Amino acid sequence: MSEKELIFTPVIGIEIHIQLRTKSKIFCTCSADYTNDEPNTHICPVCMGLPGSLPVLNRAVVEQGMIAGLALNCSIVSPTLFFRKSYYYPDLPKGFQITQSDLPIAASGWLDIKDDAGAPKRIRINRLHLEEDVGKLHHSASDGRLEGAETSWVDYNRSGLPLAEIVSEPDISSAREAVEYVTMLRRRVRYVGASDVDLEKGMMRFDANVSMKCSDGRWGRKVEVKNMNSFRALERAIDFEIKRQIKVLKDGGEVLQETRHWNDAREVTRASRVKEFYRKFIVEPDLPPMIVAPDEVERARATLPEMPDRKAARYARELGLTEVDAAVLTDSPDVANYFEACVARGANPVRAGNWTRTEVLRVMGERRIDATELPVKPEALAELIRLIDDGKLSTTLAKSVFDSMLEGLSIEEAMKKGGVAEGGVGEGALAKLVAGTLAANPDVVDEIKAGKDVKGKKIKFLQGLIMRETKGQARPDEVTAAIEAALNSK
Amino acid sequence: MRLHESGVREIAAGIRAKKFSALEVFEDCLARTTACEGKISALITTAADEGRQQARRIDERLAGGENPGPLAGVPVMLKDNICTRGVRTTAGSRILGDWAPPYDATVWALLREAGAVLLGKTNMDEFAMGNTCGTSAFGPTANPWDVTRVPGGSSGGSAAAVAAGYVPFALGSDTGGSIRQPASYCGICGLKPTYGMVSRYGLIAYGSSLDQIGPFTRNVEDLALVMRILARQDSKDSTSTCGTRGECFSELRGDIKGKRVALVRDFRDFTLDPGIAEAMKRTIAALESAGAEMVEVSLPTVGRYAVACYYAIAASEAHTNLARFDGVRYGYTVSSSAGLKDMFQEVRSHGFGAEVKSRIIAGTCLTEPVRSEQYYVAATRVRSLIAKEFAEAFENADCILQPVTPSLAPEIGEVDDDAMKGYESDLYTLPINMAGLPGYSFFTGGYDAESGLPVGLQLVGPRWSDGELLNTGLALEKILGAPVIAKAGI
Repeated sequence: MSEKELIFTPVIGIEIHIQLRTKSKIFCTCSADYTNDEPNTHICPVCMGLPGSLPVLNRAVVEQGMIAGLALNCSIVSPTLFFRKSYYYPDLPKGFQITQSDLPIAASGWLDIKDDAGAPKRIRINRLHLEEDVGKLHHSASDGRLEGAETSWVDYNRSGLPLAEIVSEPDISSAREAVEYVTMLRRRVRYVGASDVDLEKGMMRFDANVSMKCSDGRWGRKVEVKNMNSFRALERAIDFEIKRQIKVLKDGGEVLQETRHWNDAREVTRASRVKEFYRKFIVEPDLPPMIVAPDEVERARATLPEMPDRKAARYARELGLTEVDAAVLTDSPDVANYFEACVARGANPVRAGNWTRTEVLRVMGERRIDATELPVKPEALAELIRLIDDGKLSTTLAKSVFDSMLEGLSIEEAMKKGGVAEGGVGEGALAKLVAGTLAANPDVVDEIKAGKDVKGKKIKFLQGLIMRETKGQARPDEVTAAIEAALNSK
Repeated sequence: MRLHESGVREIAAGIRAKKFSALEVFEDCLARTTACEGKISALITTAADEGRQQARRIDERLAGGENPGPLAGVPVMLKDNICTRGVRTTAGSRILGDWAPPYDATVWALLREAGAVLLGKTNMDEFAMGNTCGTSAFGPTANPWDVTRVPGGSSGGSAAAVAAGYVPFALGSDTGGSIRQPASYCGICGLKPTYGMVSRYGLIAYGSSLDQIGPFTRNVEDLALVMRILARQDSKDSTSTCGTRGECFSELRGDIKGKRVALVRDFRDFTLDPGIAEAMKRTIAALESAGAEMVEVSLPTVGRYAVACYYAIAASEAHTNLARFDGVRYGYTVSSSAGLKDMFQEVRSHGFGAEVKSRIIAGTCLTEPVRSEQYYVAATRVRSLIAKEFAEAFENADCILQPVTPSLAPEIGEVDDDAMKGYESDLYTLPINMAGLPGYSFFTGGYDAESGLPVGLQLVGPRWSDGELLNTGLALEKILGAPVIAKAGI
């Protein structure tokens, strides 16, 4: 091997399973929401694969799949088919999974992210296809795995939940890019309402295909890394796999084509102990070809909201928000809508952004509500912000008014309750207050006059006293100006 | 005439007119069944208690002035691959154990709603794979015309039961002749409806794109009456495309003046048993005397490729349909085994019979990724050609007259020794399922001079011409005579 250092470029493709948001399962009418329910209480002959049962496609799944596809810049394909993908496992009640596989409803999409150097990069999406989820296994073994378990139980509540599998092209070159890609993707599908993508509930799962291209022309084989259920796991698993493969290649070894499982507790990938299933496909004879009419696609396209990443870019460009703030505000559509309604009522965008990002999100988190359920409507917040901008309320006092409004008071009532009269403090009254305060603190006045208030702390102290007197009604800058005027006139 | 010798319409009318009660009919049919079963073995399960209760209920409703439906009190037997809630359903296999489905097949729900009373579940080749009833895990059924001979299959139990006068009608299923061939061997009427005419929901699948449920009766007008109830659009079966086409069974006129009935040129040189050749001549003469015009059509692809392609498709679909029998959720299982793989192997090795295993293995091989294109996919392409060829043939003919099988019912055990002979005898039946066409199997009014066995033939028409086939059937029945009840060895 030459002295020249070898360069390794990771080549990564990601497969994402998301649970589409529908009331019922993909091929039967069982409820799709089984959170906290007893095992095997959301089952019927169809999702249990009983002999004689037949699947009937839930049209809502098709719509959600189409919307998710459009959100990922995919073209919608029609007609498409479902296939039977055969393998044996106890969580698979029919011995095959019904999946669109490589004849998907949506194909050839993309998402634009930034590469590790910050330059724009397009990640191509091969396809989004529809399929059914399988049941869940619980094993008595201490490591929670099937092998060696004394007893295993199967819960088929999850069997038949609607999934979309989203397969990227191998355009990703780092764990960071992978995380940016899946973050953007998650935000988009949640934005269009296609999925709740709740990671804790397993509504989004990742597999990564990782291989290495070496500057000496060698290509490592593709390794499929499975079992990542969080962004963090995805990032760590890819990082681990990149390092592992580089080491193998540097040592002159060969990367085997295999499936490896991410062990989240130990933070390593391990070669799968079970031999990969031998999977075969035939056309699902129980389902006719799936048709999506062009006008259905156009109707869905017309209802698509502005995508969160585009929206964030616009907030930064047109409203002067920082990229970080813009990302937070656009993370979910209800918050973005709240913020935009506030700005539409004339609120200063930066201030509206700050209030939404802090107070609104705080209350949403505390009360576990979404922005539409917030007692303080965006119009009211806009008014509050206008009062701050006009100097009629300090930020501190505005927050206590906001808190009162959260209890259902109108802005006027909230201000009265806080002892605040709208309109600040009249000029004459302010002058009187300033004179009184200065008279009561001669030592401070003397020190200022002696030029000892280099950092302006003494003036701030006086200002604070006056603000307290006015219960925050006075405008801080007016108070400072009045103090300075009084000092100078003496 | 004894009650059990009456047809569907006579029994229904008699009960409605209170000439006799539903319970009387039931008991008489049950007595006939009990008397013959020792010789015939047409049943896997007798539903005496359930049926008696249903019959009583019909009598009560009639006494109360209600209309319990067009089939009120008519006893029926169902092939044992049709799911009946709470009544054991085995598909002729050991692997289902004593499984009692938690739901009703749509056809049984329709019949029960129309007032029909379940008397039993009939014997069949295991998972409908066979043409003698000889692959049933419950032993063979005998032909009521000659108990040393087979009744045909796979719906042999249903055909034998109707021929022996257990019941005036029964249901079977036809994947590649499984209604038409036993109807022919047993000298009765059987209809394999157009694919999509009758719901498959609750039919334990063999080849899903080929399977169709249909009735056996002892006259063609009874067949039409039963079809009026079965031919319904079903939202539980995505391949149900019946719409309002069930109306085609409303009124049979028996007038076939000017109808073009075709013989298939490509079948002309094939050998037929003398009794069948003679029946062809008699039937042609009858058709001509009723005013029909005899023509010829050509089906070269059908003659050459249909059988091979049929088995490729049927086995490919079957091996996925049977993948669900793994001992995890229902049916036959093993109490303890070394591990998951052992459990699957043990359950499937002991649960399935030899014929089923051979078709599962064939299906597995034909759909292997390396072979799929050459076999399974190629067969699906030929299938489209076959459908097209039939469609073209029906531009010049209203229906086709052809044998059901080239020979009459063989002796029990005879066919089972030579599987290939059984396969060859499928040429006249399988292509009809490949093209999704209706096939009406009827008794020609004649018996084979040598064996004394009844001789049947079939009429095949374009899709949705089921009503027209029965109409031609009525014209023939008027000339040739309707089936009579077999002695059943007693």
